[in-house]
Amino acid sequence: MTKKRNLALIGLLMVMAMVAAACGGNDDTPGTGGTGTTSATGADVQPGGDVTIEAEEFGFTSGFDPSGEYLGNAWGVMSNMLLRTVMGYKHLGGAEGNEIVPDLAAQEPEVSDDGKTYTFTLRDDVSFGPPVSRPVTARDVEYAFRRIATKSVNALYAGYYVGTIEGLEVGDDPGKDGISGIEVKGDNQIIFHLTKPTGDFLYRLAMPATAPIPEEVAKCFTNAGEYGRFVISSAGYMFDGSDKLDISSCDSMKPISGFDPTKFMKLVRNPDNEGVEDPNRPNYADTWTETINTNTNDIEQRVLADQVDFVGTPTPPTLKKFLQDDALKPRLHVDAGDRTWYITLNLNSAPMDDIHVRKAVNWVMDKEGLRLAWGGPTQGEIANHIIPDTMLNGELDDYAPYGSEGDAGDATKAAEEMKQSKYDKNQDGKCDEAPECQGVLEISSNTPPNTDMIPVIEDSLAKIGITIDDKAVTDAYTPIQTVSKQVPISPRPGWGKDYADPYTFMGPLFDSRTILCEGNSNYSLVGFTQKQADECGVPYAGDIPSVDDDIDNCIATADDAERQTCWADLDKKLMEEVVPWVPYLDATQVYATSAAVTNYDFDQFSGTPAWSRIAVDPSKQQ
Amino acid sequence: MSQVSSDVGLQNDAPAGGDPSGEVAGKTPGQLFWARFKQDRVAFVGLGVIFLLVALALGAGLIAHYITHRGPNDLSLARQMRDEFGLPKGPNSTYIFGADTAGRDLFIRVIYGARTSLEVAIIATGISVFIGVCLGMTAGFFGGKIDTVISRTIDVILSLPLLVFALGIAAACGTTKEGCFGGFLKPGLGVVVFIIAAFSWPYIARIVRGNTLSLREKEFVEASRSLGASNRRIMFREVLPNLVAPILVYSTLIIPSNIVFEAALSFLGLGVPQHTPSWGRMLSEASRNLEGAPWLMIFPVLFLVTTTLAFNLLGDGLRDALDPRAGR
Repeated sequence: MTKKRNLALIGLLMVMAMVAAACGGNDDTPGTGGTGTTSATGADVQPGGDVTIEAEEFGFTSGFDPSGEYLGNAWGVMSNMLLRTVMGYKHLGGAEGNEIVPDLAAQEPEVSDDGKTYTFTLRDDVSFGPPVSRPVTARDVEYAFRRIATKSVNALYAGYYVGTIEGLEVGDDPGKDGISGIEVKGDNQIIFHLTKPTGDFLYRLAMPATAPIPEEVAKCFTNAGEYGRFVISSAGYMFDGSDKLDISSCDSMKPISGFDPTKFMKLVRNPDNEGVEDPNRPNYADTWTETINTNTNDIEQRVLADQVDFVGTPTPPTLKKFLQDDALKPRLHVDAGDRTWYITLNLNSAPMDDIHVRKAVNWVMDKEGLRLAWGGPTQGEIANHIIPDTMLNGELDDYAPYGSEGDAGDATKAAEEMKQSKYDKNQDGKCDEAPECQGVLEISSNTPPNTDMIPVIEDSLAKIGITIDDKAVTDAYTPIQTVSKQVPISPRPGWGKDYADPYTFMGPLFDSRTILCEGNSNYSLVGFTQKQADECGVPYAGDIPSVDDDIDNCIATADDAERQTCWADLDKKLMEEVVPWVPYLDATQVYATSAAVTNYDFDQFSGTPAWSRIAVDPSKQQ
Repeated sequence: MSQVSSDVGLQNDAPAGGDPSGEVAGKTPGQLFWARFKQDRVAFVGLGVIFLLVALALGAGLIAHYITHRGPNDLSLARQMRDEFGLPKGPNSTYIFGADTAGRDLFIRVIYGARTSLEVAIIATGISVFIGVCLGMTAGFFGGKIDTVISRTIDVILSLPLLVFALGIAAACGTTKEGCFGGFLKPGLGVVVFIIAAFSWPYIARIVRGNTLSLREKEFVEASRSLGASNRRIMFREVLPNLVAPILVYSTLIIPSNIVFEAALSFLGLGVPQHTPSWGRMLSEASRNLEGAPWLMIFPVLFLVTTTLAFNLLGDGLRDALDPRAGR
């Protein structure tokens, strides 16, 4: 009977594991709430208290090093609480939150007539936090650019500066006076000389990688991600324990205790920021703590029980709970995410190398079904083109080149389009029984919502005779970023803006000059050439359209409104003449909060709560 | 659990020569087995359930076509069967087991899941039994260095951290189109069957080896050898028939553990492909929303438990009937 007992035990353990996975229960998370002394009543916002967040992971791209961090979560923390940049944001939701305003700069810059020289005068009252505790100077901003230009730092969006700022090239060591296009005069003046007029240059100076960095600390950490545990504050908060950092030598510097990349990050008020004027960061809370908890269900339960203040992107069951309960509804915050989720189609891989197939896929796709897999309309509007509508000032609000009734897909129009394809020789509106159309490789993520999207995609594509062989993997980005993998279709990608100019979509995603054989972000290979195909060792499908000239044309347009129209036109061209994507969701950013959160504002730049504007009532925290 | 009647026991205990009066008829081993087995009602229920499951699995296509008019991946009612949050609706007159997270008919997916489970379990068990019997018999019969090599190999395999190793292979071979080992292991059912077979044959091999060791010393083997029979003849004509009973029993007992293993691999996302219905994968999806959609867990668990229990009961019954001396 031993065998049977073992089996019974295995069965029991499996069921217990599943119940545990579903119900959660993590009691060893450090308690952080309930120590404030001020009680907020009504709409009054009282400073003080501890804001707590739990998340499955930090999702950092470079260990929280400002030079290498390339995702909104890190930017939200940096730009709201830790770092001031030459230009900045109001840290509000909506269009106002996308407006660019002086931050470290004392006022708007002087721009030369040819649009190539930007002169900034910096404020003189901003200091680095402990243990550096000295005024921030123009030299510290210049040093941030030298880090961007240092290859080993691996600044992920160096492309916004290389080729734009004179003399800025990524190399082994740009040296102390390495960048000819950045001129520093005295402590407070910094002048940027550009190679060409760049309409969105001010946005680029609001990116966290350009925030001032004290060389005396960061010179010890020039490998990717190292500086992440030593970030010195120039804004309202700092890592807890920063004051204990011994900066007398490189060897004496041990990671600051307030940040453990596998466990938590705790920020406390920066004493050196007291009295510094900052109209856009009210810094309500005393402390801010994010803790890693791999059990999403548990996090959501803890937010409902007021034990944790924030959870991002709640799962559909929790979303439903918040929306259907009048008491909970005000605690759910839905804002425009400036992010498009899409199915990428590879222009160099059969059968997607045929524009008619790509158009047919756009026609037939059940986008409403895909949105339901995400959790329904709360997750966003159905996307019909590339740039989120919020970033185009409504120019393409009504543009839906492949629109269908109920967004369920139009099989008739798809069949008509498919008939024109080289893969439909018998003209029956379906991809033929050829190997190109059967078992088409698709790389997806093995987690929801991707897992729930697969049946919808399979069902839609079957209508035009395409069967897919879906490979659900943990890291779906690596294969689709590797040109030699030749992945024809993937529903994994989403792209959020870096800053509020559509260039941050068009440049990284469709500029053929940025195509890399590995780590490529132009997944669709728009503009891919024979030469690049040879370099990456893949056969060239031929005749792949390029939009490089259109991108150059838009970027040189100085007038904001004209530039926006230029991008809108390019969006249409991509959707009709190139068709690299099936965009399906113009996503919102959803956060659920505890009852203790008395003031909520969204930061449109980073797509996270505007952390410095978050206020809590400690008496309501459990 | 199973009951062996006293008269069967008496017959079994009767002297080998039988009653010279001829009033007690001699019975073949098969008849003896059947006489014992048919009185074991619990094992009979197990057998019945297995027949039912096999019938359901084989008839899944017919049920989908003629009764529910929906296949396991049909999304035609996906909108109606989910609410505005994309959450599935529970059992109703259209979907008797409710909808799954994608809005598909859970009933059809569960019975197609039986097909996957039985397919994987039976094929993998067949392969592991074949390998186990061949190697176990060789080791036990020849002894010496051959035995040492095979036995140590078994020890090594049994000492491997099974699940971790299985996950490694499944992750390496199950997520690329090319598979691994030059395409020998392609993603899908093949990888799962390979992993299960690769890790379950040592159990059979050990049992077969032990039995062969004792059988080769028996008088009838000696007699056969003295008559000039070759090793091959002795192995296949004398030893193997005597191994049928333990092989049958342990095969039946290994099937449910293989079903659970497949479910575990699929639960962890490394089993059969996404669109292939599998109880393990269904359970994995159910764990995301146990509170809101308990039916997603209840029905697959019910089928999984019933299937493994049925095979276990049958295995126990077979063991009792084939070897009544074995204690419980």
